[in-house]
Amino acid sequence: MAADTFRLSFAAPAWAQTARAGQFVNIQMPQHGDLLWRRPFSVHDADSAHGTLDILFAAVGRGSRALSRCKPGDALDVLGLLGNSFTEPAEEEEVILVAGGLGVAPFMLLLRQLRHWPGKKTVFLGFRSSRQVCCAETLVQRGARIVLSSDDGSAGVRGLVTTALEDYLISRDARQKVLLYVCGPTPMLRSVRAVALQYHIPAQVTVENRMACGFGACVGCPVELAQPRPDGQKYLLACKDGPVFPLEEIVFND
Amino acid sequence: MIDLSTQIASLRLQNPVLTASGTFGYAEEFADFYDLNRLGGVVTKTVTIEPRPGNAPPRICETPAGMLNSIGLPNVGVEQFIAEKWPFLSRLVNAVIINVAGKTPDDFVRAVERLDALDGIAAFELNYSCPNVKEGGLSFSSNPRVAEQVTAMVRKVTRRPLITKLTPNVTSISEIGRACEAAGADAVSAINTLVGMAIDIHSRKPRLASITGGLSGPAIRPVALAKVFELARVLRIPVIGIGGIQSAADALEFILAGAAALQIGTANFMNPGAALEVVEGLEHYCAGQKIARLMDLRGAVKLK
Repeated sequence: MAADTFRLSFAAPAWAQTARAGQFVNIQMPQHGDLLWRRPFSVHDADSAHGTLDILFAAVGRGSRALSRCKPGDALDVLGLLGNSFTEPAEEEEVILVAGGLGVAPFMLLLRQLRHWPGKKTVFLGFRSSRQVCCAETLVQRGARIVLSSDDGSAGVRGLVTTALEDYLISRDARQKVLLYVCGPTPMLRSVRAVALQYHIPAQVTVENRMACGFGACVGCPVELAQPRPDGQKYLLACKDGPVFPLEEIVFND
Repeated sequence: MIDLSTQIASLRLQNPVLTASGTFGYAEEFADFYDLNRLGGVVTKTVTIEPRPGNAPPRICETPAGMLNSIGLPNVGVEQFIAEKWPFLSRLVNAVIINVAGKTPDDFVRAVERLDALDGIAAFELNYSCPNVKEGGLSFSSNPRVAEQVTAMVRKVTRRPLITKLTPNVTSISEIGRACEAAGADAVSAINTLVGMAIDIHSRKPRLASITGGLSGPAIRPVALAKVFELARVLRIPVIGIGGIQSAADALEFILAGAAALQIGTANFMNPGAALEVVEGLEHYCAGQKIARLMDLRGAVKLK
């Protein structure tokens, strides 16, 4: 795949039938030594015919580098399936998927789920440079139109994915109902949230938080509510209440 | 038949393996993983008289063989706990221990008084020692007179076994332990987390929003073992050992050092089956070593 980017497939016949885009797995790193935690990965794709689940990741840390060196036949300790999933479009005429970098991961499965859905599918893919670009061809095969952008202009249009998105929203027919799906780094989520609110477009976001467990026990992955609940609740949990949230309900602070 | 049972004051546990508060939710979170009744018991996440939203993120970070946390005791408060969490817990047949905290001594008293009305609570664990709650928190556990006063006040409102959870972030943990014992505590549990800190050298920011947090996991096990050993020597009441226990072998170290029971904490996060594996490992060990009664090993460390 792209530089330092890896796709790992593992056999999980039951999960391959039931996995929904947005859900995640929590994987113990091979030779983890003093690395205590599992690492969460969004389900990238699920192939029910072959009984496999895919994850997409960048080998940037000690754990993910060890994971990238896995060989066919190696055993992995995987906890799953965890979390909720994207709600599919109903009466909308178009879906727009916005991905920053490896935020593209869950959209491969989402487009698989939507393969019989007749509406228009557009994916805004933003990467740092052409070296990082991945998944674009497969997303096209799955029926999406791709708008590629990169920070340095070496792939697609130069600039932020949010800019490309906004240009598109300005030009499109605002009477058509659209649903936005978003995944990527926090600064991007913050900008897309502002854009979605400005254009009154319903959006679902999947977040990526530090977590020690993945199933609601450590309470270490809070996501801040835009409006505290009447009972004083200020946070939801990324693992248990998410990782998919309505974008307008949550905020992204530093 | 191997006897794994142990006694904490009037409370008999079928085996010494409990779960540490704040690492096991309200038990329901783990119900899909195994039959919770196989454990000696569960200790709930902390309950406070009023609801608490918890601390701002980031709340956790990974450290070598451990983790820092500053969760801030988020919980729904006593009344919602009774309405929403207790129905599941009350159906467990093993020991259900409710962990209670408060900002003031009166908070502890009110929470325990209210919860004491429930049928089926095996014991209370008083959390004097959460390092992540700015108000009070530490003073209950770092000042022997305050610890003694709060314990005595709570003692008056319940006849159920009282366990006081001790912090290692003090000059003398046994001094605090003695104060709790004198005030009528039935057992102590030790240790809570050690105050720690980590900094991201790229952003130059602390890795936790609260700057410091509590260190847990295997990294603290030797410290915990030394504290449990110390407490077991000076106290008459039982000591429940906590700190980085991941396996039956780790648990046996604590029993040999004098622990009457154990709590599995951080290990539950990475390995949701950890506590059950410790129970099974202890069984296996006793069978292999022809030990009829596990608690015969309690305090059996050979010092000479």
